Amino acid sequence: MKKIGVILLLLMFSQTSFAQDYKFGKVSKQELEEQFYPLDSSANAAYLYKKRRTYTTITNGQIRLITDVYVRLKIYNKEGFDWATESQNLYGTSNSNSEKLSNLKAVTYNLENGKIVETKLDKDNVFTEQASKYKKVKKFTMPNLKKGSVVEWKYKIYSPFFTMIDDVVVQYKIPVKKYDAQISFLSYFSFNKRQKGYYPFKIIESSKRNIDFHTQDKVIKISEKNVPAIIQEPYVNNINNYSAALQLEVASLTAPTLGLFENYATSWDEIAKDIFKNTSFGGELKKTGHLKDDIILLKSKFTTPNAKIFGALEYVKKKIKWNGIYGLYSYNGLRKAYKEGVGNIADINLTLVVVLKELGLNASPVLVSTRNHGIPLYPTKRGFNYVIANVKTAEGNILLDASEKYSLPNVLPLRAINWKGTIVKKDGTVGFVNLASLTTSFEETNLNYKITNDGLIEGMNRTKYKNYASLKYRKKYGSTKEDDIISEIEEKNDDIEIVNFRISNLKDIFKPLVEIYKFEKEEGVEIIGDKMYINPLLFIATSENPFKIASREYPVDFGTPWEEKVNVLIQIPEGYTIESLPENLGIEMTENLGLFIYMIKKQGNQVQITSLIKINNSIISANYYQELKKMFKQIVSKQNEKIILTKI
Amino acid sequence: MKKNNFLLIVFVLFVTSINSQTFDFNVNLISDELKTDANSVIRFENYHIDMTSQREMTIKLKTAITILNKKAKNHANITLAHDKRRIVKSVKAYYYNAYGKEIKKVKKKDFKDYSASDGFSLYNDGRYLHYSYTPTTYPFTVYYEYEIKTSNTAFISGWILNGSYNQSIEKSKFEFTYPEDIKLLKSEKNFEGYTVQKTEKTGLIAYEVENVKAIESEVHSPNLGSFLPIVRLGVNKFNLEGIDGEANNWKEFGKWYYNNLIQSTLDLPQVTKDEIKKLTKGIDNPKEKAKIVYKYVQDKVRYISVQVGIGGFKPMQASAVDKLSYGDCKALTNYTATLLNAVGVEAYHALIYGGSRGKKSIDANVVSQQGNHMVLYVPIEDENLWLECTSQNTPFADGGDFTDDRDALVITPDGGVIKHTRVYDDTENLQKINASYTLNNDGSIVADVKMVSSGTQFDNHLGFESLSDKKLDKQYKEFWDNINNMNITKMNAVNNKKEGKFEESVSFTADNYGAINGDRILFPINAFNVVSYVPKRMRNRKLPIEITRGFYDVDAVEVTLPSDYKIEAIPDTVSVDTKYGTYKLTIEKISENKLKYTREFLLKAGKYPKEEYGDYRNFRKKVAKYDKSKIVLIKQ
Repeated sequence: MKKIGVILLLLMFSQTSFAQDYKFGKVSKQELEEQFYPLDSSANAAYLYKKRRTYTTITNGQIRLITDVYVRLKIYNKEGFDWATESQNLYGTSNSNSEKLSNLKAVTYNLENGKIVETKLDKDNVFTEQASKYKKVKKFTMPNLKKGSVVEWKYKIYSPFFTMIDDVVVQYKIPVKKYDAQISFLSYFSFNKRQKGYYPFKIIESSKRNIDFHTQDKVIKISEKNVPAIIQEPYVNNINNYSAALQLEVASLTAPTLGLFENYATSWDEIAKDIFKNTSFGGELKKTGHLKDDIILLKSKFTTPNAKIFGALEYVKKKIKWNGIYGLYSYNGLRKAYKEGVGNIADINLTLVVVLKELGLNASPVLVSTRNHGIPLYPTKRGFNYVIANVKTAEGNILLDASEKYSLPNVLPLRAINWKGTIVKKDGTVGFVNLASLTTSFEETNLNYKITNDGLIEGMNRTKYKNYASLKYRKKYGSTKEDDIISEIEEKNDDIEIVNFRISNLKDIFKPLVEIYKFEKEEGVEIIGDKMYINPLLFIATSENPFKIASREYPVDFGTPWEEKVNVLIQIPEGYTIESLPENLGIEMTENLGLFIYMIKKQGNQVQITSLIKINNSIISANYYQELKKMFKQIVSKQNEKIILTKI
Repeated sequence: MKKNNFLLIVFVLFVTSINSQTFDFNVNLISDELKTDANSVIRFENYHIDMTSQREMTIKLKTAITILNKKAKNHANITLAHDKRRIVKSVKAYYYNAYGKEIKKVKKKDFKDYSASDGFSLYNDGRYLHYSYTPTTYPFTVYYEYEIKTSNTAFISGWILNGSYNQSIEKSKFEFTYPEDIKLLKSEKNFEGYTVQKTEKTGLIAYEVENVKAIESEVHSPNLGSFLPIVRLGVNKFNLEGIDGEANNWKEFGKWYYNNLIQSTLDLPQVTKDEIKKLTKGIDNPKEKAKIVYKYVQDKVRYISVQVGIGGFKPMQASAVDKLSYGDCKALTNYTATLLNAVGVEAYHALIYGGSRGKKSIDANVVSQQGNHMVLYVPIEDENLWLECTSQNTPFADGGDFTDDRDALVITPDGGVIKHTRVYDDTENLQKINASYTLNNDGSIVADVKMVSSGTQFDNHLGFESLSDKKLDKQYKEFWDNINNMNITKMNAVNNKKEGKFEESVSFTADNYGAINGDRILFPINAFNVVSYVPKRMRNRKLPIEITRGFYDVDAVEVTLPSDYKIEAIPDTVSVDTKYGTYKLTIEKISENKLKYTREFLLKAGKYPKEEYGDYRNFRKKVAKYDKSKIVLIKQ
């Protein structure tokens, strides 16, 4: 019994000593003394506590959104200092219809000779920048920052834009020790929720009596401990797509007392209908008058469905140039965009839909979320920021994007290749189309060369690019002088000297893109003693494994499936005989994710090699990372294995 | 007075003679010569700065630029900086198609107004008026004109001809008019090879040039600014953010600067003075004292930039920095100066152009507000020390390539003096590798590397100090990208600030370093320092060659060979000696299964004529080749 008493006491003691007080100003000595984050010693800083309260209220018959922010941040070293600078965007144009920040309180705490010393942030050191017509930014950085400082700040944001709820971000590039968010809304609202990221967190929903309005508030709570930092890795789409967060969208609002009955979005069909209803989307699709003459011309020129598709795509590319702005909705209207020859994504691709329809094709707009915008997993309007065109043909769906000069049917610019597209049909129903695996990016190289006795290589290289590979090549070299292209290829390819160079169909995108050149390379092989060592793939060989890190948490995203084939034919010099050749090799990844084949054979004084790398999925899950890394290790090693010749 | 009026009339007549109404924008009128290597062509530019008094100046530009292709797209956009004291009175633009037909008209209200947030300042009160044009076809022409009024007469943007690569000029005219009581200070550079028509009269100076060919950017070429015609102007009576100034020479300018912008900011609190005195107690050597102060500052402050009005030129009060523990280059330089003064060490603010790529100097010939950065100048006996006060990692008086080898303006209470900053010798930019590796029978290696960098090479490694283990691991794998399948077992990156050396030690293993081919293993002897860079082949080099900074690498590596193999072939000793640098690779056999190689590569800083490009390239080709020298082993 006595023993138990002691244990109990100990437990109580340990509990009191370790319980943190998360009231503003109650920073403990222990927090200030902490040298590194216990669960991740590499962290430069950590949120000891991050609190957010977002709720609605009604003042003068107007719904207002209020957000309270409170942060307690620990700085472990100087590299963590940047975290002590806060900037908060505030939207709105007029004084009465703008977001406002108030009740700002911010303090830096340091331990000096065993005492906690506070330094308050002065109002003079809070800056407001008018970033644009629509946006102000409040900025401040904490004073008297030292290695080991703890800082706290809190403030309130009033917003008249009650349907715009900032994402509830749970995970950051630094760890979060304790996270506590509570979003409560008047019962008038209903939401769409979307949880994103790879770090799992719990969402607790409940309801709470609202005494002021005699209603039940809807409450969403997220309460997490020890959220690890998110880490940047190569071949990831957009790191923000991977950080844990909750996105909220107001689906509907029914407030009879305020005379508000709004239905925002509830299902994919509803969203599609909603977007279609918008005059800048569906409305624009009805306007065809300004295109009348051009349509007549196109109709007379193109007769087969295929020709019509190609014709319409090129026509719109030429007519309207992209102003670099994304968008789901037409900005100035299709007519104006047509007249001025400039438009945003919607102006261009909705015009394309109109033209395709007028040509008698079964065309529909497709809603897309670009790579930097994230993945729409849940029915949401905000999830889309881009639109492309789709034509349903007997052979299947053909996707088109006229904003990119070098795009082709089913070959889209990388920005638009993100997960799934949502096809909005005429009747308001929706369908989905996988954007990531439309077509395989394809490169095939034929490399023929002969080697002279003194190690000079003379050869010819012919590379054919198809689909995304051709788009990439054209984008890179489309407006480059030939001399510059040659120099760049020479430099990239181990300093060969190009003597004759030609690109077929650099501009004519509907014909295959082929790059051909004759080249020479002095000392292209190594002659050591009476032996000659040949790296048979020369500059085409993959020399570096792109996968360097030991393990990986996020999927590898290649953008599209891809294939690289190399056919080599080598003429060995007279007076030499083959002493050894590399061996054949074939590797296949599980679930047909990818493969590598290397085949070599000799025929008289010639050696013939075929090397094929194929990745069948654009996205490869982190589970297969080790396998992928190992395959690339073997690719690098095999493609750099040497042929050895001996003097006869 | 009469004379002035007359000039004004002449000027108005001249300007109206070339403008958007009368000019033919047809692109076909551009000569082939000006189209060569050009992405855009300045059809004409009329730049007129009219200083009406010490406190008032109007800047007018009328220009037309033909954009030939997509690469010059940005020249069709218009960006005007403005702030409280720099007001855009008017701006408008017209766009013309290839035949010279107007296709778009842009008014001031079509411009967007942005904050000039520079990405590194916490706050900056500057703003931009910006118009972005989306071309529908090429070529096309943009014409624009604007008028800006400002009271900041301390800056007179001079005339820089051909400031962009791949841009030719049909006609460019620059004109500066100023009141009679003002004395003009000017510096003209690089006029050789250009036919510049210059007009100089009381109250007026003008330059004009026609038919200037486009210049193409080339590797290892000097900065554009170092060979293009440049005119810099200053006036002896000026106004800076509301403060009047007068200076006929650097001495007077420095005095004005000190009295108006520095003197009042030196208010270091007594508590801090006492503290720093305590820290340096018992030390007499001024350099040692300065080191203690420098460390004190590095430990206390961080770099945060806030630029508001005169705050863009005047340092923040020393007392404010003391309290906030942050500031920009001026604030931190000023703070360090007050601390040094408190312990009896002389220290002076110095205006300078910061930048690693070029080495832009303060133009000593024209007394005016110059520079974009501030450092601290500390003269100690025979030594001139330059302290970079914004970095917490830089060694004492070892600022590296950001401020090396250039003229700076030192501000003292007695006036300004031009001084040259530290010059790093090629051999001072040293990287030393001492390492060993063992090649195993299966071709894998086990390696231990120690690397010490100093001089400007210190800067190349400095970033490694702050990286997390995961990122550092990645960095080393990229640093030695010649070695695949690297598995790092131990790594350590230490900034030995005290000695100005960056010290690294890395241990790793890597599969397949040696390539097994039947009975043989082939492996590159030089594992840790492969400089494979060769400047690209150029068929027609046009610009001279400039190697801005040299460096010196010394590697000494011991190699243990696999037990089952013996040497079949080994490269000979190599020694290359050119005016551009030297290279030496020596391999010695120290025992039956041990080799030692030493590699020395010295690249010299220097300037060479364009004809030598091929020779320089050959030198780098040789280095690249010998750096990949291989040893062949055979099974015994």
